[in-house]
Amino acid sequence: MSITVLGVNHRTAPLDVRERFAHERREVPTSLERVLAAGARGGVLLSTCNRTEFYLAEADVAVPEAVWAILSERLGGGRSASEYGYTRRDRDAVRHLYRVSAGLDAMILGESQIQGQVRDAWETSKGQAGPVLHRLFQSALLVGARVRSETGLATGAASAPSAAVAVAARIFTRLAGRSALILGAGDMAELAATCLASEGVRVTLVANRTYERARAIAEQMGARALTLDEAWEHFADADIVLSSTAAPHAVVTWDHVAPAVARRGGRPLCILDLGMPRDVEPAVAQLENVFLYDIDDLQAVAAQAAAERRRDIPAAERIVSEEVERFWAWYGGLVVVPVLKEFRERLDQVRATELERALRRLAHLSPEDRGEIEHFSQTLLNKFLHQPTLALKEAAQAGRGYGLLEALKRLFGLERRDDP
Amino acid sequence: MVLVPHLIALALYALAAALALAPFAGLRSAPRALRLGVPLLGIAAHVIGIARVTSFLGVAPTLSMLALFLVALQAASEGLFGASAVGVFTGPLATGLLGLALLIGLAPEGPPPSGRGAWSILHITVSVLGLAMLALAFIAAALYLLQFRELKAKRFGAVFRLFPPLERLDQLNHLSLVLGFPTVTLGVLLGFGVRYAGGASVDAAQVVWGMLTWVVLGWAVGVRVVRHWAGRRAAFASIASFTAVLLVYVALKLAAPGTQRFL
Repeated sequence: MSITVLGVNHRTAPLDVRERFAHERREVPTSLERVLAAGARGGVLLSTCNRTEFYLAEADVAVPEAVWAILSERLGGGRSASEYGYTRRDRDAVRHLYRVSAGLDAMILGESQIQGQVRDAWETSKGQAGPVLHRLFQSALLVGARVRSETGLATGAASAPSAAVAVAARIFTRLAGRSALILGAGDMAELAATCLASEGVRVTLVANRTYERARAIAEQMGARALTLDEAWEHFADADIVLSSTAAPHAVVTWDHVAPAVARRGGRPLCILDLGMPRDVEPAVAQLENVFLYDIDDLQAVAAQAAAERRRDIPAAERIVSEEVERFWAWYGGLVVVPVLKEFRERLDQVRATELERALRRLAHLSPEDRGEIEHFSQTLLNKFLHQPTLALKEAAQAGRGYGLLEALKRLFGLERRDDP
Repeated sequence: MVLVPHLIALALYALAAALALAPFAGLRSAPRALRLGVPLLGIAAHVIGIARVTSFLGVAPTLSMLALFLVALQAASEGLFGASAVGVFTGPLATGLLGLALLIGLAPEGPPPSGRGAWSILHITVSVLGLAMLALAFIAAALYLLQFRELKAKRFGAVFRLFPPLERLDQLNHLSLVLGFPTVTLGVLLGFGVRYAGGASVDAAQVVWGMLTWVVLGWAVGVRVVRHWAGRRAAFASIASFTAVLLVYVALKLAAPGTQRFL
């Protein structure tokens, strides 16, 4: 038996390659079916924007070829996907999944989204996972949860958009129900707006130099569209302003917004300037109860959080190692049980045959004596089996059972599959 | 036995203060259950201790009660507002006040002036509770100004990470001030009632300075409630009013020193 992971991730493949490997949910069963047909007893496909990984149980030698073939077809141009890929086996494969689930292998260290993606992958592949991978993914989710609760790996905001949320959360008691005004149509502003919206912030207004463009984005977000000149008035009402225009100079000036800010009655206003070059004149930060942050500030927040998360890597790795050992002990035990059972059955069969033969020759013995001999044969067999059974179980739990198991199978001609 | 529960409370308050300060020293935050549980245990021990105090006259019992209310308000701030940073101030302050009370001595130094013991205790309790609320308003205002400064200066250190959001601190300040002022007023009125009914005279300086302090406190509440001040201005007003209370107390104690009476 074995556990294998084959795949690509953000460390081994650039974004344009990873995009080609990404599977939609409906494509997963078909790809897994092909891999299982090549000779694997269970499979789970984890596909996110940062990784595409096939987790396989009992993969035959032909299976890696099948996986790379599936991915190479998506890559096209006669290129081989294996150039971007990696393979991990057994304990390393288990450790890999646990690290992924814990966020240790993520692009943004400790990000929690991966936990949901691992769960989705497991649920999507449930019909094809088999018992070993079922248990593996279940434990991976527990490991992820344990790392997040026992270490600081998921604390703080480690990306600029999440830093925008973190900064706003230091100003307002609750983000849910706050109103946001978006200036411009930059990708970063849209990303940050999505992050804020996930915290319950309502994007109520979208303003852009071009009204048509503002309307297109406003429709997506269920907001009202404005021109930039109409937006200044709304600095009196909005709680959060996200700015990301393509203007070559500051568009939000003191003169534009000071009169509106004066009407806020002391309510704080958080301005997140994600434009490059900056959209908001630095003097705006001097207005009372206005908190202005640009992209450098947000990246500083993110970098600080990332540095703090890095301090917790050793603790997280310790948890992963502990859990790998725990899983492997379970898995090792699982592997030896059927072989030991067959080993015992085979020897018992020999014992019974030889006992019957001997008793036929010793027909003069009393029933008590015959019983004594049978008892002796049984005890002898148990004594004989005790030490090998113990040694095999211990070796399996320590991860060294495979060689012994193979030797046992070869020496005693055990043919039965060692599956659970 | 008065001393033992007070000593247990002192140790638990010191531990609560250490737990509140730990994250600022770069250590991991204690679990919330511990941050709440330790002061609550301290409060329980302290209540047992105070219940055994036979006379509430003098500085020591008042300081002990003030410490008790401060820790109770700290626990309430943590529980209701998630404002664990309040403990950074209240923890050491309460520990210090209780320690001072124990040093002065909690044993009664003289008999009550009249037979109106229950009213007297009510007057002291209500007044000290009001004072503790005003202290909490002061602390919330101080935390607000610190967080405000860090946010404006774009410093993302321990204050940024560990202090509550600005709005929450403003709400805590508002609530403490609005509840603290009528409580103090009621306590003062009860005090006058107890004194006059008991036939005791009230020092003119106490009346004049007390009224002035009351007016300053009333102004801080008025600008919040009537003129809808919020944020930094309200925080400054709150700090100014509580500072006035402290200054007047110090001045009156300098004029009539001694530990036999709180005022």
